[in-house]
Amino acid sequence: MFKSKEVEELYNRRLDRYMAAIRMQPTDRVPIVFNTTYFAEEYSGSTIQEIVYSQKHWYECDAKFARDFPEVDTFRSNIAYAPMWDAIDNRLYKVPGREIPPKSLQQFVEAEHLKVDEYREFIDDPVGWRFNKYFPRIFGEYDGKGAIRSHVAFLKMGFLQGIFGGILRENAVKLKEEYGVIPTTRGALTAPFDILSDNYRGLHGIMRDMFRNKEEVKEACQKIMEINVANCATMVDPTKQLPIFIATHKPCFMSPKQFDEFYWPTFYEGMMMFINAGYKFRVFLEGDWSPHWHHLADFPKGSVIFDVDNEADIFKAKEAFGHKNFITGGIPTDLFIFGTTEQMRERVKLLCETVGKDGGWGPLGGGHIPNDAKPENLQAMIDAINEFGVYEGQQTPKAQPAYDQDLKLEIPFELPVITPWEEFRDEHNWDIVGNEEMIKETWDKYERMAFSWVYFK
Amino acid sequence: MSKLVDAIRELEENLVYKIVDEEIEKGVSPVDIVEDCNKGLVEVGNLFASGEYFLTELMFSVEIMEVVMEKIKPLLTASGDGVSKGKVIIGTVEGDIHDVGKNIVVSLLRSHGFEVIDLGIDVSVQKFVDAVRESDAKILGLSALLNTTYPVMKNVVDALKEAGLRDKVKVIIGGTITSEQVKDHTGADEFATQAMKGIEYCNKIYGH
Repeated sequence: MFKSKEVEELYNRRLDRYMAAIRMQPTDRVPIVFNTTYFAEEYSGSTIQEIVYSQKHWYECDAKFARDFPEVDTFRSNIAYAPMWDAIDNRLYKVPGREIPPKSLQQFVEAEHLKVDEYREFIDDPVGWRFNKYFPRIFGEYDGKGAIRSHVAFLKMGFLQGIFGGILRENAVKLKEEYGVIPTTRGALTAPFDILSDNYRGLHGIMRDMFRNKEEVKEACQKIMEINVANCATMVDPTKQLPIFIATHKPCFMSPKQFDEFYWPTFYEGMMMFINAGYKFRVFLEGDWSPHWHHLADFPKGSVIFDVDNEADIFKAKEAFGHKNFITGGIPTDLFIFGTTEQMRERVKLLCETVGKDGGWGPLGGGHIPNDAKPENLQAMIDAINEFGVYEGQQTPKAQPAYDQDLKLEIPFELPVITPWEEFRDEHNWDIVGNEEMIKETWDKYERMAFSWVYFK
Repeated sequence: MSKLVDAIRELEENLVYKIVDEEIEKGVSPVDIVEDCNKGLVEVGNLFASGEYFLTELMFSVEIMEVVMEKIKPLLTASGDGVSKGKVIIGTVEGDIHDVGKNIVVSLLRSHGFEVIDLGIDVSVQKFVDAVRESDAKILGLSALLNTTYPVMKNVVDALKEAGLRDKVKVIIGGTITSEQVKDHTGADEFATQAMKGIEYCNKIYGH
């Protein structure tokens, strides 16, 4: 239940704009559809530690931003719950307030967690490899401190998974009903090459592998794509309103030849399975994607929002692929932090008159609003959109409650189970006397969830 | 162009090692081998500048060079040719733990003959100041990925002034988040968003 009629109207107006933006339909003004705003955290007055450890602080952070910047159509703040890192001593993250200052953003630690001679083991048995090799390397509580601590750590991770899901849902519902906030995305997919390089091999490892172990890299990407796609299918928005999120990382380090050989094939194939079924994407193009972005014009019109980073040129992005799909960006980080309100107004005016002239563009920094942006500069950006970004006489079409329900998702891969029901049954020599289907159905369901946990933690 | 230059340019590592081994065997001067390798690296740098090669190719060329240097080093030391081009202090500033960019610069500096004092990541202002005081390096490199580090980089430059060491070193800030405006804000002497620009700057300062 919305708090008031006004909030409901605000929610609907925002949803209409966001849905239209994604689909490259007309809007009444330039949509302000942020991806991430680290600014919301800083502006809230809470430290990052407070936000990643406390649901209350996190909610207040979003609520304050929504109250003070009501013209923003979508935004997302932090999306992490630090107790999940503590519970198992996840070494992939440096945690605000724990080993880095409370006001720092959490930081990802990239290292070589898959050894070069383990490719085959990983490809043939991803779960076995993760449990036997990966987890001992990344989880301090895996087993080094004894079986009891290890079992308790995994138990805590299991229920924290559910608790975190609950926090996300609860915050989203409250923000919707109190302030008319719509989420930016639902569900996530990651480019297989990014997982292989970020989480497993590290930049140095993958750099060598692209010269020395080409076939293994490609085979591993294919395997990761199959598992990711099957997992993503369990998380997507059934109404097909909200796009699926992808953050890309490594293309800016790759030459076009490498990108075409290692990155693009499995990235594109995975995304297209969803796009063909009517789902939309929101993709953050980290770094300078320009050597590769001619490929992005291959996506169908109105299927993806691209957040263009500051290292790339927003005007060229518009020409290369932004004529087919909505792009955000164009406001330099240092303008947010050091610039004046007048400089901001001029920049937004220029962008509205060029890349935003006929629609298809929204303002943003490099994929986010920087945490130390001056609040008056953010406000100046919004004011300038209202001044220069109104499309006279244009109406935003009403958002539909659901899209493309006639299109079905056809994925040739299914999430595996770790222990199949039949194996478990036969170990006990059970001759099932009741309804076996009923038992198997729930067994497999929770086994797939377990696989998903093992694979994605 | 020699086969060695060509092999490095094409990043054919096994061929590079084979040629280097053969030349050592034949008694070719280690300085000449290194010179050819450097020519190859310049070719790689040119391909990088023209947009054909990217960071990962540049990194791989450095890796190949490191292996070559392992083979050459004992010969250089024996012949007394391993003279340093100059000293550079470098580190990722406090509040940031990213070191991909810094490590590439360190490797490139070393392969170009500089002696590097690498202070690592999350380096405190004091540690930078101490390093400048204790060495005769003419260049201090501050590396960062996060824009939250702008004030920290400024603090380092200010602290150098306070300690009376500002004239002793040129300060270069490096990372994709740096710009002319950030350089002015922090009071640094130069900024570099690309590794090679940093190397060129060091060459310039040391007059190479």
